[in-house]
Amino acid sequence: MESGKQNEYAAFEEKVRRTVYLDNLSPNVTESVVRTALDQYGTVKSVEFIPNYLEPRNMPQCALVEMEKEKQAKVVISTLSEFPFMMSGMPRPVRARAALAEMFGDRPRKPGRQIRIRWLDTADPDFKVASKLKQLVKRHATETAVMLKHQLEKEEKLAKQQGETLKANYKKYEMIDSLMADGAARRLARCYNLRVSDDSGPSTFH
Amino acid sequence: MVEVDGIENLEFKWGKKRGTGGINTKVQFYESFTYDGIDYTLYDNVYLHKEGEPLPYLGKLIKIWETDSRLKKVKVLWFFQPSEISNYLFVELAHPNEVFLASGEGVGLANINPLEAIAGKCNVVCISKDGRNPQPSDEDIQMADYVFYRTFDVGQRIILDKIDGKIAGIDVKFIFNQSGSLKPCSIHNFSVDEPASENAIETNGRVVVSKLNSSENQISKDDRQVEQKPVVAENGFNHKAEENSDVKASSVKPNLSLQQEVVAGVVSESGELAKTNDRSGDRTGLSPKIKANADSKLKNPSGAEIGCVNQVKSEEKLKSVKDTVELDERPHKKAKLDNSVKVSSDKETTKCATEPCGTATIPSKKLKIDDKLKKSTNCKSPAVPSNDGIKTGDKAMEVTRRPDSDRSKWFGELPWEESLRDAHEFGKLVLFQNLDPAYSSAEVEDIVWNAFNETCRAKVVQQTAYSSPHFGQAFAIFKSREVAEDVIKKLDERCLLLPNRRPLVASIPNPCFSRKQSMFAGHLIVDKLKSQREMKEAVSTSHSSQPNTVEYDMAMEWFLMTERSNQFWKKLYEQQGKELKKLRVNFKSK
Repeated sequence: MESGKQNEYAAFEEKVRRTVYLDNLSPNVTESVVRTALDQYGTVKSVEFIPNYLEPRNMPQCALVEMEKEKQAKVVISTLSEFPFMMSGMPRPVRARAALAEMFGDRPRKPGRQIRIRWLDTADPDFKVASKLKQLVKRHATETAVMLKHQLEKEEKLAKQQGETLKANYKKYEMIDSLMADGAARRLARCYNLRVSDDSGPSTFH
Repeated sequence: MVEVDGIENLEFKWGKKRGTGGINTKVQFYESFTYDGIDYTLYDNVYLHKEGEPLPYLGKLIKIWETDSRLKKVKVLWFFQPSEISNYLFVELAHPNEVFLASGEGVGLANINPLEAIAGKCNVVCISKDGRNPQPSDEDIQMADYVFYRTFDVGQRIILDKIDGKIAGIDVKFIFNQSGSLKPCSIHNFSVDEPASENAIETNGRVVVSKLNSSENQISKDDRQVEQKPVVAENGFNHKAEENSDVKASSVKPNLSLQQEVVAGVVSESGELAKTNDRSGDRTGLSPKIKANADSKLKNPSGAEIGCVNQVKSEEKLKSVKDTVELDERPHKKAKLDNSVKVSSDKETTKCATEPCGTATIPSKKLKIDDKLKKSTNCKSPAVPSNDGIKTGDKAMEVTRRPDSDRSKWFGELPWEESLRDAHEFGKLVLFQNLDPAYSSAEVEDIVWNAFNETCRAKVVQQTAYSSPHFGQAFAIFKSREVAEDVIKKLDERCLLLPNRRPLVASIPNPCFSRKQSMFAGHLIVDKLKSQREMKEAVSTSHSSQPNTVEYDMAMEWFLMTERSNQFWKKLYEQQGKELKKLRVNFKSK
């Protein structure tokens, strides 16, 4: 009995080591997207998206990707942290980390762990400290929530800024394109006696 | 390696003797000593100070002796700080305070130093996942000055991930976290420092009972709590209890009577026997004396806690213990063992059900009992857990398995999300906070069962990269709105203290379910290109960016941002950890 549980827990720990935690995933990412994306690094055994009930709705998705071998998980993590990796969109890369046992909702009981609990009454000498701790815990939870909101705002800001940059860039390219297309660039070049080398097409310049 | 100039006259006292040197009988080895008001024991981790060095050295005491010329010496196995071996350190540190234990053979493994070079104790926790290492809790790791799990081979000058059988001739079990001071003679301490150890245990009573079951986590934690106090015996018996918990229960019997005076008022805890017995794995008949000692010690604290149980009652109960023990004395076939345990625990519970004082400790008896057993206990004495955790005042109880915890498998259940939605709609949903992040859903259900005598369906909230490492959360669905509100009210008005001084916090959550969102900050689409084939492909194919693209530059901006946010999350949680630690120190009961 006991050893069976030990084995179960050991198997779970082994699974944790084989698993990659992915986040900053777009809501459009599905299991099949993840599978195809990470197939090149090893066999993906399972993909589980971590449900988000408590955090803001616009939180990026997170997922646990179980690889067949621990080594493959390591490769995924190191590659994805070295090179920006795009899934279902650009240019925000996904992030990979080693999974932790606490990320698994169905983690088994750790064998041998015992929990002792104790009710404290108002008269207990520790009641005050415990109450303060409760307050502190609540405050910390709020702090975390605020931090998260702040982070999401910053992310949105960066996204917007990049959107502007991209738009401006694109406009420039379009302008250049149209100038090349209608021959204005060449006319100007001739006017100022400049050489314009156009790689994209046969030059009629000479 | 370490010089000592000018030894001041600091307080010094030798502790337990170990033996004399093989050839030179004038050399006396010791196990412990007191220096400058601090008790040191063999295998303690210490700081050693060297004049002119900014950082103290870090090492483990592996030998303590006095030479024939009355010089006090210690042999120290070194720990390396990352800075000391930076030339050979090609791996990332697993922990900001990681150190490396010296191993292999060669210069730098261990040295003999004057005892006076010791500058103080150092809390080094071994975080090796090795099965032989009693696993530290998160708290332990947070409290630790340093952690280690890798060694630095001084001969080959490489980092090794494994801790091998012996280092510097020291068995690996002394290198891992100590589940006790591991002294062969420490059992004798029980009789020697009886009053002292008893007191110490008394204050600690709440925790002690669990130790028998070699729950590694607990043991190591508790030990550390105890470490500061001069309680060798406690440590010793821990270890003993752990080592011997496989001892046949029957072997206890002859000694129990010897221990009568000591055990008075204590025996209501006799379920312990059943508990130890329950480890029906490989029973090795180890010395009964040790066992009896350990048991009686174990029980003392709870006896002290119960307090009001008078002599007569306890003697009555003593009989019951004997009875149960006798029951256990049946032929020790494994098949039968479960059986006998069952009987004894039944007996216990029925006996104690009439015993209001004793009931507080009853749940603890069932903890280790396996499922089969539990059902029988449960049907025989359904009223037992209903001693109403609420009324037991400040007495500690051990969380036991909810009796029907297997019932969930009998019937199919609604998918979790649907249940969650339903429960939220009807106000039956509670969010628990400040749980140990490691608890499983089943453990949360058990806590609820033990604390409120209510069943619930619980599920831990899965952590993400942004979750606080300091506490875990769980949803619990109760059978009605009233129960859910009652639970929240009780937790608000009073405090339910979980291990590691965590008061449980409950609230009504407001979960969001609609997960459909199409907008994602960070993925850009150039409107005009939307319909073009290339763009579509670029989006739908996962790929790594090439460094010569706009995409790559922008991706780098995201990397930078993530890195920044990592930093501020880390800062936030460090700060929160400090605040928690500061407050927790104020607890009076340890």
